Amino acid sequence: MKSESARKTGIIVTIFYLLIFCVWQALFNVGLIPDYLFPSPFQVGQRLWELWQDNYLLPSIKATLMRMAVGFSIAAAIGLGFGLMMGVNQIVNRCLRSLFLGLQTLPTAAWVPISLLIYGLSDHGIYFVIVMSSAPAVAIATSTGIVRIPPIYLHAAKTLGTAWYSLPARVILPAALPSITTGLKLGWTLGWHGGVSAELIKSTIGLGFLLYMGRELNDAAQVVGIMVVTILFGLLLDRFFFGIIEHHIHIRWGLEKKNG
Amino acid sequence: MASVDKTDTTQSPLKNSTVKLQIRDVSKTFQAKQPVEALAAVSLEIMEGEHVVFFGPSGCGKSTLLNLIAGFETPSTGEITANGKPVVRPGSDRLMLFQEHGLFPWLNVISNVMYGLKNQGEFRFRYWKQREVARSWLKMMQLEEFEKALVHELSGGMKQRVALARALAPDPEVLLIDEPFPALDALVREKLYGDLQEILAKTGKTVISVTHDPREAACLGDRVFIFTARPGSIQREIHIDLPRPRGINDPAVGKFAEQIMSELGDQKNDERAWSISVAEYC
Repeated sequence: MKSESARKTGIIVTIFYLLIFCVWQALFNVGLIPDYLFPSPFQVGQRLWELWQDNYLLPSIKATLMRMAVGFSIAAAIGLGFGLMMGVNQIVNRCLRSLFLGLQTLPTAAWVPISLLIYGLSDHGIYFVIVMSSAPAVAIATSTGIVRIPPIYLHAAKTLGTAWYSLPARVILPAALPSITTGLKLGWTLGWHGGVSAELIKSTIGLGFLLYMGRELNDAAQVVGIMVVTILFGLLLDRFFFGIIEHHIHIRWGLEKKNG
Repeated sequence: MASVDKTDTTQSPLKNSTVKLQIRDVSKTFQAKQPVEALAAVSLEIMEGEHVVFFGPSGCGKSTLLNLIAGFETPSTGEITANGKPVVRPGSDRLMLFQEHGLFPWLNVISNVMYGLKNQGEFRFRYWKQREVARSWLKMMQLEEFEKALVHELSGGMKQRVALARALAPDPEVLLIDEPFPALDALVREKLYGDLQEILAKTGKTVISVTHDPREAACLGDRVFIFTARPGSIQREIHIDLPRPRGINDPAVGKFAEQIMSELGDQKNDERAWSISVAEYC
């Protein structure tokens, strides 16, 4: 029953994407917008293939993912550290929560000018943008998760003789892990936004750089193609990498049932 | 031995054993806009190896006193000593078993039982020894084939048994039980009362449990302290010298339950508590 309904949804989703593809192609064929502004799906595919063959696409994807790996690791470590302090100490929480919420309202691309001023055109600036975009979200989710830990876990830990210094590793972080993974997932998405924005301006390789180069060359097919690639990788990591980890943790904690 | 045969010394069965816990003029007032006096000055002594029950309606301070003994709260006045040393913080010498089991969902069953052992000097960093002890407790609870199971995969009764195993594994001197088995159906409860008495008799532990169910009090306790509300204080102490193990449905237990209830008979609030506990049975 369940697998059949899942298959049905799968078919419907596939049809939906085919439909988008057809509408896109049809709009192109009608020719209302000139083709140098509005490329057809085939032109986009062809351009991506050329970029692949010229050895631009793969190194760019690699470069962007490497920057994300470094930047996001730093952001996660900083976010978890601050989140833990905020979750454990109410005064720290009051002070930092409003600050981090404020920083979060800033569009991620708004970090690019200041990073240019501080770091110039180096990769450090891109790490800076990624960290500033994603660390506040991780910190807020971590502290919220810690504040909402059912008191019974802490009571149980204390009555079982847990020392205060081993509480974070043995009880507080594990108990908050479901919210922490949700926070990491959100932080990754925000970091991805910030990272690609920063690459637009300050790099010589990367997905953001290819976008920028496409604009410089008036190559709409390249711009659209790189946008599609960026969406695909964002989705892949968000849905499959973080999504699967989140799902497993929620199952282990008994927060959701195994699906089909 | 602490587990004294009560038939020969009916008057003061435990006089010959040592005092485990001493509670001297302990009161607790919670600071709020209007301070709430949860517990008026209470004094009592608990002997080694006896099972004491705090009985009373909700809001009578019995759980407050249990939390004070556990070290989760500090008394407003008076002093609590365990083995002559004042209680200042929670610790595994006075281990609390909670109403809602409080098992850790990120650990499987056996890791939950091993948790408390990891904090103890002789077991620290000795994984195999910890696991051996945890397994023997799970075996005693007839849960040995569930050691790899996750907490949410267990039934309510199984969770309580794992929680009991986890509480007993670090070998606490005093076991504090907050409403032993509340949300379980009658059949499971009856079996658990039997298991609990058997295990406690084997280990000779000092136990304090809190309940609002008179049958439970009569079934488990050597001594039952009856609490009254507003402010919480001890109204009476009843000795129950029935042989063990006692069944929750034994007529003799029922008689003591009636006696316990009659001590509270003239208070309307408590009649309501009684009818609630009856409703939980059905």
